[in-house]
Amino acid sequence: MKKTAIYQPKRPGAPGWFNKWVQSPRWLIGFAIVATLCLAVYSVGAMYGQTTAGSTLGMSYGVAAAIAGVAVVAYGGRRRAQRIRSLGRTWYYLEIHVYGGVLFLLLVFMHTAFRVPSGILTWVLWAASLWMTATGLFGLVLQKWIPTLLASGLSTEVHLDRIPELIVEMRLRAEALLESAAEPVRALYRREVAPVMAGPQPRWIYYVDATGGFRSRARPFERIRGLLPDADRAALDEILELYRTKLEMDAHFTLQRTLRLWLFLHVPAAVLMFGLLALHVFFVLYY
Amino acid sequence: MKGLFSRARLTVASKYLMPARQRWPYLIGLILTIPLMAVFAVSAVAGKAELVSNGPLSSNHALFGQDCGTCHEAFGSVTNARCESCHEKSGDPVKAYAFDTHYRYRSQEFDRTASSSSEGACFSCHTEHRGREQVITHVADTQCASCHFKSVAQHPEFEFVSHELKDPANLKFEHTVHVKEVRDEHELADIEQTCITCHVARDDGATFEPIAFDAHCGECHLTSSTSTKPAPLLASANDNQPGVLSLETIRSLRGPGTRWSFFANPNEFELLGESISKRPVYHADQWVMENLRFLRGRLYPSAELADLLRGSADRAPQDITALYEEAITTLATRIAELKDDPSRTVQAELEELTDLLATVRQRLNDPFSPLDENRFAVSVGDRDSSLSGTDREAYVEVVNALTNPCQECHYVEQATIKAVQTDQGNLIRAEFNHRAHILHARCLDCHNQIPIRENVANDVEATEATDNAEILNNPPLATCLTCHSPKQAGSECITCHVFHPDKGRRSNLLRYHP
Repeated sequence: MKKTAIYQPKRPGAPGWFNKWVQSPRWLIGFAIVATLCLAVYSVGAMYGQTTAGSTLGMSYGVAAAIAGVAVVAYGGRRRAQRIRSLGRTWYYLEIHVYGGVLFLLLVFMHTAFRVPSGILTWVLWAASLWMTATGLFGLVLQKWIPTLLASGLSTEVHLDRIPELIVEMRLRAEALLESAAEPVRALYRREVAPVMAGPQPRWIYYVDATGGFRSRARPFERIRGLLPDADRAALDEILELYRTKLEMDAHFTLQRTLRLWLFLHVPAAVLMFGLLALHVFFVLYY
Repeated sequence: MKGLFSRARLTVASKYLMPARQRWPYLIGLILTIPLMAVFAVSAVAGKAELVSNGPLSSNHALFGQDCGTCHEAFGSVTNARCESCHEKSGDPVKAYAFDTHYRYRSQEFDRTASSSSEGACFSCHTEHRGREQVITHVADTQCASCHFKSVAQHPEFEFVSHELKDPANLKFEHTVHVKEVRDEHELADIEQTCITCHVARDDGATFEPIAFDAHCGECHLTSSTSTKPAPLLASANDNQPGVLSLETIRSLRGPGTRWSFFANPNEFELLGESISKRPVYHADQWVMENLRFLRGRLYPSAELADLLRGSADRAPQDITALYEEAITTLATRIAELKDDPSRTVQAELEELTDLLATVRQRLNDPFSPLDENRFAVSVGDRDSSLSGTDREAYVEVVNALTNPCQECHYVEQATIKAVQTDQGNLIRAEFNHRAHILHARCLDCHNQIPIRENVANDVEATEATDNAEILNNPPLATCLTCHSPKQAGSECITCHVFHPDKGRRSNLLRYHP
């Protein structure tokens, strides 16, 4: 059996939250052991001498942090070289990215002796490391939470990049239906549906309710449905289905775009951090 | 068309859609990073070091802030050599900063050595770039803990407590009776006020002035009725019998340091047959001291340097400089007295004294000449071996008669009054400041090894065993720990201890150098 993410065996006895948030307990346990070892080494070192970034131990933590950082960055490279099978499964890189990222921050804190650096470059570096890891963890939460939200109550699955063209397709179909529909249906479309069909419309409500409050929006349709003849009733039902699908598209657009926009929080800080890290390493070697 | 999907029957994409490349986040990252890196790099090259520095320098080094090269070497580190360009050299003969010196200075264990590989760089303890307010001499406990115990709770008991060390005060003294006398004499209600009547704080409040006889003892001791015991009087200085010289004989000798004899009152001497006594006797009475020197010269003819001191050469290690200074003062006085005498003998002696003064001065002023109190000490090796045991006893008898009033308080050994040690240097490993403590504790709260408070309160006569000058009236560690704990008063190593020796006493440092 392949041991990629979706093939990870679920633990029947484990609570749901654990199955949801922990893909591999072995990685979690491994991370916990390494982090505990790091803290133990730090504690022992702190008992026997003052730890500063420039001390032997402090330097060692810094070097370890830099190595962890390089390992974390490897995930981005692996994603861009997915056709090279010999590099191993991307899932492993992702686990290293997540756990290694947290370990990186821990090592940075150990390097600075759990103090805020007072130098400008080192402070920016420290802040970028903190920001990068915090937004990384935020992204991890989003990656777990948004798919669950999208799967709860939506009947349509759609790729973010296709949403604009599908909305156009739906609008054209709805307008075709309206040509032979009764005036009440056309009026209802103009009032309720046409503004929505104009294009993708992200809304905050989708973070809470992925259906976007469709039930209340469908009530005007129900009110006139009983008054219409059968032919118009079929057209009204199809327009309502298109309307519901459009709102689901908006939910996908809103939530999937969040998954992409999150990268703007994480990646620039990561690029900045690694650039300044290189500079920091140079200055440390030079001075 | 590949088919339809969803309940709205939407068309399936004609081809598989790969997730779009996310270039913008990386691009934004680069747009932020490249200029920022350029700013840092250019600032480093242009000498704006504060941008790339690991933090502001301490105020001591703040003026070097823009010039990293003052301390740093390219692709090197901050070497001790850079520190030494302003501070003392760690590798000089005095080795003020070396571990060897630290061991010996603090432990007085002169056989302890450290290998050169264990000598750390200055910056390993004195960490820079931690802000203007950072005091780089403030070394964290963890630095000390790498060799010593880890917290104040593990601090060993003071050596004078654990080893029951005696106070080498060289004084016959009982506190209780004196406290009562002072209290009654000055009508003091507070017993602690009697302490500060004699123990007068120095200007800095850290320590006390030495007890002075005239100020503190003379009111009761050596009164006008005090006299020496009769001692055999010698007809001349050449008389080989045990005895003392009369004032007239001393005058006639016109030896160094005897000018006082021309101003002394002859009526203070009483001839009792072939013996003589003196009344009154002053503190450090010139006639007594001169005869003591004379008798010591007979008993220990080789101990000439001992004549330069009023008492013995016993000094705490930190007071050896004072020993040399006393010798210099004595020599200078003698030279000044002899200068006007044209006789050839005196001039020859003057020349010798001048040479000796130069030698002592050179030794005191040269930081690389070790000071040695033993040069001034009277030792068994200085004895006149030609004297028989009976003769020696006879001389000692004369010495005892001469110094009988002195021996009420002082010890006399080898015809020398044992110097009272005002600072016994009990806290050789730590510093103590009374000023910082006086507001929080009363004298006898800490100095409670002699039960003065109880004796005075209960009007009890102190016993020799519980109240004498040999009892080190300093508190055990537990007394300090009642206030010095992590949650109260400072309990860091450097609260009491200093790693490097006091460089103000540079010549003394040679004692710690092998």
